[in-house]
Amino acid sequence: MDRHSRRLPVFLNLAQIRFPIGAIASIAHRVAGVLLFIALPVIALLLDASLRSEAGFASVRDLLSSPFWVVTAAVLLWALVHHVLAGVRHLLMDVGVGSELARARASARLVLVAAPALALLLLVWGLT
Amino acid sequence: MRLFDGQRAWVVQRISALLLLVLIVFGVLALPFASPLDFSGWRAFAGGVLGGPLIALLFGALCAHAWVGMRDIVLDYIQPRGLRLAVLSLIAVVLLGVLVRVLLSLATVALAA
Repeated sequence: MDRHSRRLPVFLNLAQIRFPIGAIASIAHRVAGVLLFIALPVIALLLDASLRSEAGFASVRDLLSSPFWVVTAAVLLWALVHHVLAGVRHLLMDVGVGSELARARASARLVLVAAPALALLLLVWGLT
Repeated sequence: MRLFDGQRAWVVQRISALLLLVLIVFGVLALPFASPLDFSGWRAFAGGVLGGPLIALLFGALCAHAWVGMRDIVLDYIQPRGLRLAVLSLIAVVLLGVLVRVLLSLATVALAA
């Protein structure tokens, strides 16, 4: 046992470890999910305020046109789009579509590239 | 513990995911046809027979889906029993709070209409 453990490679240089593309898409799916969870109570409160009174509706509208909101919206849109696309990828794999390694790697790359692009598109559309 | 039942959680996660997917896709597709919102129009939609149930369904599915996802993450990364229970309780309180807040708002608007 001693002999073996001495021969095990120790390679924990975080700057050099390369995660497989599927792992990156998967961890991003989790990070995006957590971001959306954090946003959920805020969204519920904004919904409540916007329905409560004319003044509440106006203040929510003002908040949603502030510069801070644009940055927040960009992050949340990415989180939503990535989570949905990566989720669809997982659902397709559940029913056996695209679970071979080559296709799984290709779809992971597609999700990672398409999410920010689609989020940017939605953001620009929303702002105009 | 039934709360941590893996297969039921998996089913809840998939069903809520499909429901959210349908709601989001139709929501985005409907957006170009929506008129610019003012307060009374927004209230009429949220208090109406279509908007109210749709928003309630959206938040119900969101909370169920978020519960399973956050639960999975906590079970993966937090091992100490006490801390795990505390974090899970906090998540449950937040999600139940969201659901109650939204349902109360919708009910208030619907009853006022």
